[in-house]
Amino acid sequence: MERVKERAKVLEIKDLRVSFHTRRGVFKALRGVDLELYKGEVLGLAGESGSGKSTLGLAIMGLLPRNARVESGEVLLDGSKDVLKRLRDYGSRDVKFDPRKNEKLIKRLNKELREVRGRALAMVFQEPLTSLNPVLQVGYQIAEAVYYHDPMRLVRRAISRNRCTQADLRDLMTTLKTKGEEALIEEVEKRNLRGLEEQILSIWRRQDIHEAKKEKLILSLDKHKLDSKDRLGISIYLRGLQRVPVLGRLAKDALIKEGYRLAVEILTYLGIPHPEKVVRMYPHELSGGMRQRVVIGIAIVNNPEIVIMDEPTSALDVTIQAQILELVSSLKASSNRSFIFISHDLSVLAEVSDRIAIMYAGKIAEVGPVKVIFEEPQHPYTKMLMDAIPTMDKTELKAIPGSVPDMRSPPKGCSFSNRCPFVMPKCKEMEPPMVEVSEGHKVACFLVGERK
Amino acid sequence: MEERTEEGKYSNLILSLKVFFSNRTAVAGMVIFLAYVVDAFIMQFDPRLLGVTNPNQFTYNFVNPVPQPPSSQYPLGTTYPGINLLQAILEAIRVDLGYSMLIVVGGAVIGAVVGILAAYVGGYLDELLMRFTDIFFSIPYLVLAIAVGFALGRSFTSMVIALIIVWWPIYARYTRSLTLSIKESVFVEAAKAAGASMVRIMFKHILPNTLPPVVVQISLDLGSVVGVFATLAFIGFIPNANTPELGYLASLGLNYVQSAPWTVIFPGLAITLFALSVNLMGDGLRDVIDPRRRS
Amino acid sequence: MIGAFNLKKYFPVRGGVVGTQYLKAVDNVTLTVRRGEVVGVVGESGSGKSTLGRMLIRLLEPTGGEILFDAPEEEMVKYREALESGDKESAEMISRKYSLLRKKGSELRKLRTRMSMVFQDPYSSLDPRFRILDVIMEPMISTGYLRGEEARKKALDLLEEVGLPRAFGNRYPHELSGGQRQRVAIARALSTDPELVILDEPTSALDVSVQAQILNLLKEFRRRKNITMVLITHNIAVVSYMADRVAVMYSGRLMEIGDKDDVLTRPKHPYTMALISSVPRPRPGEARKRIVLKGDPPNLLSPPRGCVFHPRCPMAFHECGWTAEEVAEDINYLVQGKYYNVFGDNVKVIPLQDKVKVEGANPESIKKVLEVERENIRSLTAVKEVTEDSLLIIHAFQEPKLYKESERRSVSCLLYR
Repeated sequence: MERVKERAKVLEIKDLRVSFHTRRGVFKALRGVDLELYKGEVLGLAGESGSGKSTLGLAIMGLLPRNARVESGEVLLDGSKDVLKRLRDYGSRDVKFDPRKNEKLIKRLNKELREVRGRALAMVFQEPLTSLNPVLQVGYQIAEAVYYHDPMRLVRRAISRNRCTQADLRDLMTTLKTKGEEALIEEVEKRNLRGLEEQILSIWRRQDIHEAKKEKLILSLDKHKLDSKDRLGISIYLRGLQRVPVLGRLAKDALIKEGYRLAVEILTYLGIPHPEKVVRMYPHELSGGMRQRVVIGIAIVNNPEIVIMDEPTSALDVTIQAQILELVSSLKASSNRSFIFISHDLSVLAEVSDRIAIMYAGKIAEVGPVKVIFEEPQHPYTKMLMDAIPTMDKTELKAIPGSVPDMRSPPKGCSFSNRCPFVMPKCKEMEPPMVEVSEGHKVACFLVGERK
Repeated sequence: MEERTEEGKYSNLILSLKVFFSNRTAVAGMVIFLAYVVDAFIMQFDPRLLGVTNPNQFTYNFVNPVPQPPSSQYPLGTTYPGINLLQAILEAIRVDLGYSMLIVVGGAVIGAVVGILAAYVGGYLDELLMRFTDIFFSIPYLVLAIAVGFALGRSFTSMVIALIIVWWPIYARYTRSLTLSIKESVFVEAAKAAGASMVRIMFKHILPNTLPPVVVQISLDLGSVVGVFATLAFIGFIPNANTPELGYLASLGLNYVQSAPWTVIFPGLAITLFALSVNLMGDGLRDVIDPRRRS
Repeated sequence: MIGAFNLKKYFPVRGGVVGTQYLKAVDNVTLTVRRGEVVGVVGESGSGKSTLGRMLIRLLEPTGGEILFDAPEEEMVKYREALESGDKESAEMISRKYSLLRKKGSELRKLRTRMSMVFQDPYSSLDPRFRILDVIMEPMISTGYLRGEEARKKALDLLEEVGLPRAFGNRYPHELSGGQRQRVAIARALSTDPELVILDEPTSALDVSVQAQILNLLKEFRRRKNITMVLITHNIAVVSYMADRVAVMYSGRLMEIGDKDDVLTRPKHPYTMALISSVPRPRPGEARKRIVLKGDPPNLLSPPRGCVFHPRCPMAFHECGWTAEEVAEDINYLVQGKYYNVFGDNVKVIPLQDKVKVEGANPESIKKVLEVERENIRSLTAVKEVTEDSLLIIHAFQEPKLYKESERRSVSCLLYR
């Protein structure tokens, strides 16, 4: 538990309130959410439909629809960057909400965030087919993601490979074998071959082939030189001519071609067999599990610090879901990335999360380390939810009576009060504050406050 | 989501109206359309309200047959032979609107029945009926209408029949495609599992669900039918010489088009304005039945 | 109550270079359901479980096989024996008496009062233009079970029984929430007092807290009315909560069937084991060995030969149906990757008819690799022998049948021959 405190916060959400203005009325989707995400952890976000968990994910990404009003609150990236400032400045003003005006702000926000997304934030959606373009090869889509966020990375890769000699590679190989990865990166810097190290390491880190094969692959990197057309394309790009009509096309083609090589590396990393073939395939030619891997590939290719996954396994079969969960766990282990894993399925969250936040009616009901949440849940909603999930060894399910409140006019006081068996008079009057019961375990319920 | 239970009985209707009225151009279209309809009704039941004595005939004025420019006496001018254009247009709208309605609704009913049958029964019947509609599609519709009208003689009835023959295949195709998608829906499967007969499924489940889009299609088509109907009248498919009809009215001024362009422009404008208004209104209606626009 | 025998459903898929192909959605499934029992059919998407359910209620016509409805158990057993021994005459006699597939017109309509179905998605299974009351009355009126005022009264009573206020009768489906709609769908399914209800994923479109409400409602009805149920779902936990017996399907075939506790606690078929171990459990940090299957379910247009599960099976062995292509691919993978140091660059792996040619490799080193990797890469077990000129001969295969393990348990796996 001590470690949780030491770890750096990568994301902090403070009192976030978002409402949707629709023809049916104003739905209060988020009603004051406080949450933080630490480096290198998986935060599970649980809740039923309408609890606001997906809205929260979208809000962090700045991907809100035009009718979403950010009434208050902050989403702080790395402790400083306030993602939603623009929208909040408009949404918190006391004027009649105009979605058209909001849309303009969202467009401007998107332009700003373009650079942040990919580098700092990435998102994986539930239905992989809708987030992939059906008429583009998957390799192209991965390449394009890099092209838009970090084209220089592709340039570096291509040029360094083009420039390196067999002697360079042999020296680097020796460095890598004798002194390790850190030394390799230094050595690459020294030789002015930046961009080569990731290509070498992506081969070196593979688990499925013999060292001799790795060595051979690394030493043959210099065989993949650029052809004259690509050289031309890249020099066009370096001269800043990528916006000139025909020349720009040449530049993009060259960089995308490099992006395909990177796509193969990423897919290999994600454990997809025959990646050279898969990058040339279209989304419909892939199975659901493969598609979701490709989407994850697009999300992580720019090495974002935070990956938000919105129900990434809900459309998949159990055996495929198990594969994806395994993949998420290994991604977590192999990088220092943070994940927000949104799901309605508590069992799935139990498998992947370090911490879990339970949402109900647009607020966090309870948040804490996964073990604590499952073993000693404090909030009545959490407890009842646990009793309602069918599991293999349960002989009795206790359903939660009643239904989710209408989010257009959420009840005064605690939003769970109308379904709660322990309801007290003051639950209907006041909203319960978040109380820290133990290290990192917070509950918003008067029952807990009483006892303290 | 266990919510949305406490909504009024008419919530759906209110929402539909809200969606429609949020589209301003559609409302404008509806206003113009209603003006046409009101005019048609007045002409039918009490033409004197608009100073017309006999809405079934143009009032000629052979004393001064040459077209006169718009003036305070004739706000839209006159056309040959001395017809007050404003009055003539007001009279003609009734005829055009009435027959166009008849054509579109007639075509839609025939087309809908054929389309549902073809799609629901499927197999050879589907193949047969659809090839049959192909025949109609392969002939340019104006040529087909002229041929049918020529065979049946010069009368409004034959024009209506000719145009229904031209129009129903469109609806047959449209309802067929609608039916095909509804047929695959789970509630039809549920009705089958409940033991419902084919007739019951076709008329109780499928037909009511195809109606809203068909009605939208009707409103969109009304404009083009008025145009085609007027075209036929323009080229001479008119039973007798003084029938108030917009296309025919335009043709009267044709010889004077260079010296008195208003004789053609105003009747033409009346047709165009109508076509535009129903199209705008149809767009609004389409929004109403589009679930994405409803949220 | 109801018995399906060697039931098949092939969907023709037209087009392509190969002409019409058949998608074997359900292939040779035999399943009997006793009166008052809840049988859970579990499988992933594409396993054919929904197709099976729709055939049982005759929403889809089977391509082959027989369904007996309301036949006494002895007759079912007799029919099965007759089929196995090839006694066409007595099989014909029984099927003439009880066959569901031979029923037509009014006879079938009458049968429809005795069985019904609840569909997965409560948003699309109710006609949006029907009032709730009309939805519930539809089966009664269509089958002539009850009419007019009687039907109305019964529908209102049913509304109350499924826990909705009577006033909901005049509403339209869009005014109700998902859970409420599913209650209406259940009321509709129960309106003709059926003896058999097929539940096709009744809760997978619902939230967890609502799911528990619906499951408890179904359980309650079952207890009160002794309804026989076939529960089709991908969620093993739901089956475990509701069912008496479990049938596991994969790629259109039945893999395993038996009493719930028996199957779930002591799975025999490797697929069932993997399926159960894939189910996430709400116990964080619990140490358990999870079997994560490799790859995806097969393409139903060209299913693997032998056992359909063998390419993903962690326990497959030489007779499971390995083809030269499958073996060649795995060997190629090893030769190019893990054992690159042994074989070098000049090895070529060529699949032939039931043989794999490994060019430019020493048979001894191949044997050694096979020896080591056999445990992990199951296709290698299919290599019967390695000849002097590095030709790998592949074992003959056997098609698995449903083998009887005990009185109430059958498994379709060669391990249990």
